[in-house]
Amino acid sequence: MKWLFDPASVQGVAMAGDWYVFIVAGIAVGIYVYVAILWCVFRYRRRGGEAQRFEKNTPLELTYTIVPLLIVLGLFAKTFLVERPVDNVASDPQEKVAVTAFRWSWQFSYLGSNVKTIGTPRRPPTLYLPLGRLVEFDLTTADVNHSFWVPAFLFKRDAIPGMTNVFDITPSRTGTFVGRCAQYCGLDHAYMTFAVQVVPAAAFDRYIASNGTAVP
Amino acid sequence: MIEWLTTTNHKKIGTMYIVSTLGFFCAAGVLAALIRIQLAQPNSTIIGTHAYNQIFTMHGTAMIFLVIAPFAIGLANFLIPLQIGAPDMAFPRLNATGLWLFIIGGLTVFAGFATYGGAASAGWSNYAPLSEITIGTGAGEDLYLVGLTLTGISNILTAVNFVVTIVCFRAPGMTFWRMPIFTWEMVATSILILMAFPTLTAVMAMVLIDRHMGGHFFDPAQGGNPILYQHLFWFFGHPEVYIMILPYFGVVAEIIATFSRKPVFGYVGMVISAFAIAGLSLGVWAHHMFTTGAVSNPFFSGISFLIAIPTGVKFVNWIGTMWKGSIELTTPMILCVCFLLNFLLGGITGVMVASPPLDYMAHDSYFIVQHFHYTLGGGSLFALFAALFFYFPKIFGVKLDERLGKWFAALFFIGFNVTFIPMGFAGLEGMARRMSTYPDVAHLALLNGLSSIGTAIIAVSVVLFFVNVLVSVRNREPVGNDPWGGYSLEWLTSSPPPEFNFDELPPIRSKMPAWDVAEGREVSRS
Repeated sequence: MKWLFDPASVQGVAMAGDWYVFIVAGIAVGIYVYVAILWCVFRYRRRGGEAQRFEKNTPLELTYTIVPLLIVLGLFAKTFLVERPVDNVASDPQEKVAVTAFRWSWQFSYLGSNVKTIGTPRRPPTLYLPLGRLVEFDLTTADVNHSFWVPAFLFKRDAIPGMTNVFDITPSRTGTFVGRCAQYCGLDHAYMTFAVQVVPAAAFDRYIASNGTAVP
Repeated sequence: MIEWLTTTNHKKIGTMYIVSTLGFFCAAGVLAALIRIQLAQPNSTIIGTHAYNQIFTMHGTAMIFLVIAPFAIGLANFLIPLQIGAPDMAFPRLNATGLWLFIIGGLTVFAGFATYGGAASAGWSNYAPLSEITIGTGAGEDLYLVGLTLTGISNILTAVNFVVTIVCFRAPGMTFWRMPIFTWEMVATSILILMAFPTLTAVMAMVLIDRHMGGHFFDPAQGGNPILYQHLFWFFGHPEVYIMILPYFGVVAEIIATFSRKPVFGYVGMVISAFAIAGLSLGVWAHHMFTTGAVSNPFFSGISFLIAIPTGVKFVNWIGTMWKGSIELTTPMILCVCFLLNFLLGGITGVMVASPPLDYMAHDSYFIVQHFHYTLGGGSLFALFAALFFYFPKIFGVKLDERLGKWFAALFFIGFNVTFIPMGFAGLEGMARRMSTYPDVAHLALLNGLSSIGTAIIAVSVVLFFVNVLVSVRNREPVGNDPWGGYSLEWLTSSPPPEFNFDELPPIRSKMPAWDVAEGREVSRS
């Protein structure tokens, strides 16, 4: 399903599924309540009739407490099941990328090689990722809070001074995607972008083996 | 003039709160318009980056700290003694202190624009360590810290006053379970203020110490922790969200009941849900931190989901109040219906972002911008205007023009939705919040263009509102005690009320003393 989202990672596909569940549930509840509100406004407009002065209806009120409780419990369970594998960090990643955010660009270095890319606000760097391989990201910042966001992966994680944030992404589709800083970081926040290019694993290996000269 | 500057009368203080918050509202509105002018087209350079950063920071700061929350405090100042049959607040001089601390604090924050380097530009949430960079930022950030500390202290003083007044100053016959819903909501709000605002004061002081006195609270190189800032800020910041909505829940309940000619449906449920929301809101702060990787997401997600339940109870009660009523669609009632429709969307998107996997996408994007504008703009702000239309006759002795009012409501509703619906989609297409400009990719140009058109419609509606105020005040059509057929005690005294509110205290024998009198119900003095 490519409606609204077109995820480019295994984790993104799972999270898009979660989005659709919430959107459908939201639309259903929304229509139900909208109809109830507008029905009241039009059906019970003042036409000289008297209002019926009831003040409560305990069974009804209890029903409308318990039913939403069941709905959110269901949504919570769904959320929990989707989140666990997304948050999980594998002990044996196939590639490792160290990402350093700084005001106002990014540095990507591919662990186990000498390949390193540093960008500037006006010349955003490109992050190359191998299709279908589990990539671990070690995210740090050189100054203030930033956030590594790739909308096509439906994912972001903050870069916070003093800590290294680790997460996994498995790209599932080749292509070039936009990445940007999501956490406001001062003057050139809007220009703190990067490109993510997901390439076939062989092309990625050539890129690394050539010390970054064989650009895929 | 001197009389107003030195007054300790709760009605004058309340009126001054309302007038000054409307002044700050206009300033924040101009800033919003500037934001939408800059973002109307991609790759725009109309407003420079540094100026843009000040503008969105001050827009958020003003709307949250100087408009939505303090308007409710001003309204409560005016209304609570009237609703419970008290002659004034418990501590009138403390009350005046609160007002002036608020006004001075607000002006202090805005004074940043007059300094070299400009106003604060670290976002309304003012995250450290960004807010602690002293190089290249002027006194604006310090004025922000000091100004907000003053308004915070003002809120704490006033909250104490509300609680004491409500507990100790109720008129004979006004039992707790006869108090109007607005007064009840203010009890919950005041308790939240007392829990949350001291933390804000502390965190503002910590940033100030870090900036100028060699502190290292949030500096990891010296053993500090930037995550601590977020914990402290949101421990204040999330209850603050409910401080900005609970009073308006009360306003909406009062107005819907009045114009449906029915008592509030599920009164007890309404009160319990207010306290349930207040209680839960103290345990959800880290849902602003799902993407930090430093908090227990399932715990904070679960508690956040639970808030949907008492909020749902409120929806049932508002709809139940209209059900089988006799609804008169006056301007305040129309604005309350708009509130219900808008706030529902804010609630539904709120449940979405309470889910961490969804928040990984939505956080810090325009999806979040849409979400909180639907709660605080589509919700609180619509109820704020509903309250203005509803209580204007009581406060100023003049009723606002209904025909202009309905035009205002229609334009405001259309403009609001045209502005904010596209933002949700812009967020899902990868637009981050607080970007001073954006590239011409996907549908961002179209979506942002629509938002800017919507903002122009809102601007027209707000101008129309102030025209309405001028026209109505000039015409001065006399209003009696009760132009709307209200049910609570404040409608039994003159408009505006006399110095000590009631020349003779009306009998209070039910939740609806004004209807008891109007309908000639036998009032036994047993």
